[in-house]
Amino acid sequence: MDYNAKFTNIHMDAIREVGNIGTGNAATALSRLLERVVNMDVPVAEMVPIYDVATHYGSPEMSVCAVLVRTEGEFSCSLIFMIDEEKAAIMTDLIIPMDISGMDEAARMQIRDSAIAEQGNIILGAFLNALSKITGWTLPTTTPAVARDMLGSIMDLVASMFGVIGESAMLVKTSLHIKDVDEELAGTVIMIPDPGSLECLLAKLGVL
Amino acid sequence: MAQPIHVGMADLVVSRHPATLITLGLGSCIGLVIFDQVSKTAGMVHIMLPDSREAHNIPKPGKFADTAVPFLLDELYKLGAIKAQLRAKMAGGAQMFAMPGKSDNAIFAVGNRNIEATTKMLSVAGIRLMSSDTGGSKGRSVEFSTETLKFTVKTLGTGTKEI
Repeated sequence: MDYNAKFTNIHMDAIREVGNIGTGNAATALSRLLERVVNMDVPVAEMVPIYDVATHYGSPEMSVCAVLVRTEGEFSCSLIFMIDEEKAAIMTDLIIPMDISGMDEAARMQIRDSAIAEQGNIILGAFLNALSKITGWTLPTTTPAVARDMLGSIMDLVASMFGVIGESAMLVKTSLHIKDVDEELAGTVIMIPDPGSLECLLAKLGVL
Repeated sequence: MAQPIHVGMADLVVSRHPATLITLGLGSCIGLVIFDQVSKTAGMVHIMLPDSREAHNIPKPGKFADTAVPFLLDELYKLGAIKAQLRAKMAGGAQMFAMPGKSDNAIFAVGNRNIEATTKMLSVAGIRLMSSDTGGSKGRSVEFSTETLKFTVKTLGTGTKEI
């Protein structure tokens, strides 16, 4: 059966609403952490052919920083927070309470990796908390994993996750815009429900 | 210099000399090239998963290691490639995220399983793997030129190497 055909507009609306509530909570958490206004876009939920996933959000060779957490149990899902590599440095420096510009490259990267992991953890943890509240599910999360790499390489993994069961991937994407900084600063939250998990979520929400 | 041909996810492309075959941003996937050392006819495939037996259907033979290798060989033979002259090179199969305590998680270890499956399929087919750059945690962009028969592997941060 085609994985695409199973989801109607009502299903897509419900999935988008989950993205909305999750990212809303994530934006609030990030705003508190950074002590700055954080705005969010309207979430986009879409089925993307797995062969296009790597290029769907930009050039495959674009350099990005990504934080991934997973929840496994009643509902299994991966969440990725992704931000341009250069913007990641600006965002992490907002919470690093000292000047690290004089340190050597390796030490700086280590501090920034730790900071972005924590920021990603707070953003994605808040998303999952919201999801836990609306479903009543306990959603234990893994510790955050950080990758700094090409966009295509990171999305490659996402394509493989869905490739096992079908030809398209359900991606729910929302942009977060951080205000009161000198430069335009925006990151992206992507929810990637494990194949098969969406059905559980839709059933729980009463639309399946 | 011929226009480079982009080999997308699960795509499989064969070409006579001269050609440049490229794949951008390989993560857990494998970029495999098999070429005829003499006629320089070459093919590249972007393998996503190790085993088609886990799947319900096989829309693209390039998607799985076990279907990609025999299909790529067939396409090369159609262009007149000679088996004894065929050699392989491959790159990719990274584990993009290190999951603490979850290294055996099937989906995060897919890179390793891809490397194993591809290597095994080449050995079953009797094709010699000349060189490879696989595993690790970094994504790769690869380019194969039929002129030099070199496989150029680019990694963010660590630069470019030829294998």
